[in-house]
Amino acid sequence: MSILHLVRSSQFNSSDFLQCIGVLTPGDQLVLLDDACYNLHHPLLIAAQEKLFPQKIAVVTSHAQARAVTLPETITGISMTELVHLTFNNDSVVTWQ
Amino acid sequence: MTEKQNKTVAIINSQAPFSSPGGKDALDTALIFGSYEQNIALFFMGDGVYQLIDKQNPELINQKNYLKTFSAFEFYDIEQVYVCAQSLKDRGLTDKFHIENTTLLEPAQFAQTLAGFQVIFRF
Repeated sequence: MSILHLVRSSQFNSSDFLQCIGVLTPGDQLVLLDDACYNLHHPLLIAAQEKLFPQKIAVVTSHAQARAVTLPETITGISMTELVHLTFNNDSVVTWQ
Repeated sequence: MTEKQNKTVAIINSQAPFSSPGGKDALDTALIFGSYEQNIALFFMGDGVYQLIDKQNPELINQKNYLKTFSAFEFYDIEQVYVCAQSLKDRGLTDKFHIENTTLLEPAQFAQTLAGFQVIFRF
């Protein structure tokens, strides 16, 4: 049972990302969109990376670039089309916003 | 009749630029007050400091780049632009902004300066 977690808000002004991390299980996939791009430079990112395989954490590249947020090497950048494909590779999808 | 003294107005920016209209609304309000030569100041704190980062590119997410209008500040002689240094540190941001003459303040001084204003809007 693998879940695709979509996070859309910044952990600097909400607790959505923290709540999401609390329910991550090893097979899940995590994608950061919109304001969640700011979480790439939040201390909690490490907690997510400890729970998931490195290639299972991604960010929508255009959303990060729009905000001048630099991508750490360990995080894969994806397009919205790839995001749609991810919804097929997982059993269910949860959006945290 | 004594000459009516204009009230001092502070606008707090506490939201990130693109996912909510807060930033655009704050900017519009500041420019309106500026065009009537009111004594106005801007305060950036929390996620609001993300509006100041250089090299943003909202066209990538099909949004108008309202940040460019920040350069109108000096035209409206809005010179008081205060930024919370702690909010920058928390987010790992430098003070390389896309606008000049901002004043970086530590939280205590930031609060002190804000307290000096008679009217405060928060976006």
